[in-house]
Amino acid sequence: MNTALGPDTARSPRDVLADPAASLAEVMAAVEAAEAERSSPVARIGVSAGATVDLLGLYLRRHALAAGVRVEVSQGNFDDPLGDIDRFAAEGVDCLLLAPFLDTLAPAFEARAAILSDEELNAREAELSARWRLALAKAAGFRTVFLCGLHRLTAPVAGGDRLDAVVERLNRALREEAAAHANVRWIDMAGLVADLGRRAAFDLRFYLRNAAPYSPALLDAWARQVTAVSRAWGTRFHKALVLDCDNTLWGGVLGEDLAGGIRLSPEGYPGNVFHRAQSEFQALRRQGVLLCLCSKNNPADVDAVLATHPDMVLRDADIIAREVSWDDKVAGLRRLAQTLNIGLDSLVFLDDSAFECEAVRAQLPEVTVFQVPASPPAYLDVIAAIKDLFLAGGASADRADKTEQYRQRAAALAEQARFETQEAYLASLGLTVTLARDDARRVARIAELSQKSNQFNLTTVRYSAGDIERLMQDPAAAVYSLEVADKFGSAGLTGVVVVRCEGGTAAVESLFMSCRVLGRGVEFAIWPAIFADAAARGCTRVRAEYRPTAKNAQAADFYDRLGLPLAGEADGVRTYETDIAAVAPPPSPWIKVMHD
Amino acid sequence: MIDEAALKQVMGTVLGVPATAIGPDASQDTLKSWDSLKHMNLVLALEQSFGVQIPDADAADITSYALIKVVLEELKAAA
Repeated sequence: MNTALGPDTARSPRDVLADPAASLAEVMAAVEAAEAERSSPVARIGVSAGATVDLLGLYLRRHALAAGVRVEVSQGNFDDPLGDIDRFAAEGVDCLLLAPFLDTLAPAFEARAAILSDEELNAREAELSARWRLALAKAAGFRTVFLCGLHRLTAPVAGGDRLDAVVERLNRALREEAAAHANVRWIDMAGLVADLGRRAAFDLRFYLRNAAPYSPALLDAWARQVTAVSRAWGTRFHKALVLDCDNTLWGGVLGEDLAGGIRLSPEGYPGNVFHRAQSEFQALRRQGVLLCLCSKNNPADVDAVLATHPDMVLRDADIIAREVSWDDKVAGLRRLAQTLNIGLDSLVFLDDSAFECEAVRAQLPEVTVFQVPASPPAYLDVIAAIKDLFLAGGASADRADKTEQYRQRAAALAEQARFETQEAYLASLGLTVTLARDDARRVARIAELSQKSNQFNLTTVRYSAGDIERLMQDPAAAVYSLEVADKFGSAGLTGVVVVRCEGGTAAVESLFMSCRVLGRGVEFAIWPAIFADAAARGCTRVRAEYRPTAKNAQAADFYDRLGLPLAGEADGVRTYETDIAAVAPPPSPWIKVMHD
Repeated sequence: MIDEAALKQVMGTVLGVPATAIGPDASQDTLKSWDSLKHMNLVLALEQSFGVQIPDADAADITSYALIKVVLEELKAAA
């Protein structure tokens, strides 16, 4: 533990960024310091998630810096991929990270999944497919889109439960959508959670309060994976793996143990570790990686092992170029790069000798260096990291295995939910808005929403329950509360409008909505009913205003979009006023507005 | 006792202000950047930097420098 070590320790930002045990505060300080030294970002990433993942941005910046580049990260709204994608595109974001969250598909979805009927599950899957088909189509212009798979938050009942099957099915539907787009990369969240362990991956304290389920450790691992899959945001193109021989391809030293003494048998330890390593390297070669040797040995001895050793997996034909001599390895690597006509930064070098690794790191910093660990089992982790470097996010990882399987799936449901436009998609949801005026049963919830709403809150007036009660009793005021429902159920009370009638003018004192329901047209659909009500109470004019805060910039032009003319602007406060009869809100025919 | 300089350093880093801006009366009411999101990050950062586990009951409530100091000292004393 870094007890009482603040971020002002003597370590350089570079050391902190590379240290997996660095504390959150240290990483924050190091990221700020390291970014100050780098001018232009190589990527601008927009994060759109169904959970609060604020710190993911920090860790994405961390791993980019550790790979020698800088990225910028923008956070989207809660569970609003369609709106986020539009906003990100307008902001010049070029890469997207999209992370749907299982438990957000419906309130407490995980708890309810076990009792969903097959029909409900089918409908859920169709809705998910439709939403993400639309999102991925909208995202077609982005350089890279990382689509993160769904995963469970709760532990399975011993022996397994239905949720695993539900998750698997929904993920298959998502991957099917991803397969249609060349710019989409899949991030296996369930795998990340499993790798870290469920208990270490989640922090339920902040899930229930802030919808933030992930521990810093999981967010860090997630960002590391995305950075690897992005190939350091398009700055890394590794092509060749340069292998040492002794204690790398086999156990022991060929010059001393001779061909009969090196350990390489799949049947014994540690030979089985090296046999497995060679099998992994051969698999890499088959996927397009160039394999080279760089070894201090007698060339004829190595040739003989390649040609005749019974346990060798790699053979002469697997090796595209070799530097086997007593010459130094830095010179050998330079010659290999020349021979293959590739840059030194395309080389990955693997050697068991700390001396050789250090020499290459010092003299050829462009080369990516891995050292074979002294303990054979740890070697497998190093190989996994090397595979990640070459294969993560590559065409083979994303396409080869899945395309056929997914295309063959019976498509009845998918067809049914295939929509050409966002309007058709929205129409399929069967959206209803129930508008209630001065509903005393909702006082507590209305006050709570006024305290919590930040982003879509036009004037950010914070009401207590007592304030709301007084407004409801005031004959000159009206508190409208709205409930949004779709074919999957109700989202509960999700928006509030407070209007005061003053001398023939309906003054909109407050408008705030939960971000969960934005992007569906609800914010426009309610106005005809509210204006009609105001007119019935003798109002002929409407007045409204937008007051800026640190968080409500997205609502700045809402009244413009509603069709109200701007009457004045001072200190960022925008005032609108016009005849009620002159306002024509944009139509939203897919929403049915009802009165409670 | 808690290293107050280290505490101010961690709070300053997470809240995006100089450590010198963290006075004894610093709280969610005096520091504009201390919103609910930053508060969550602050709890996580304090746990890592001071090697403690802040119980759920306290996590939401420690919204001032003074309260954080009290809770950290209690946790350290109990450890």
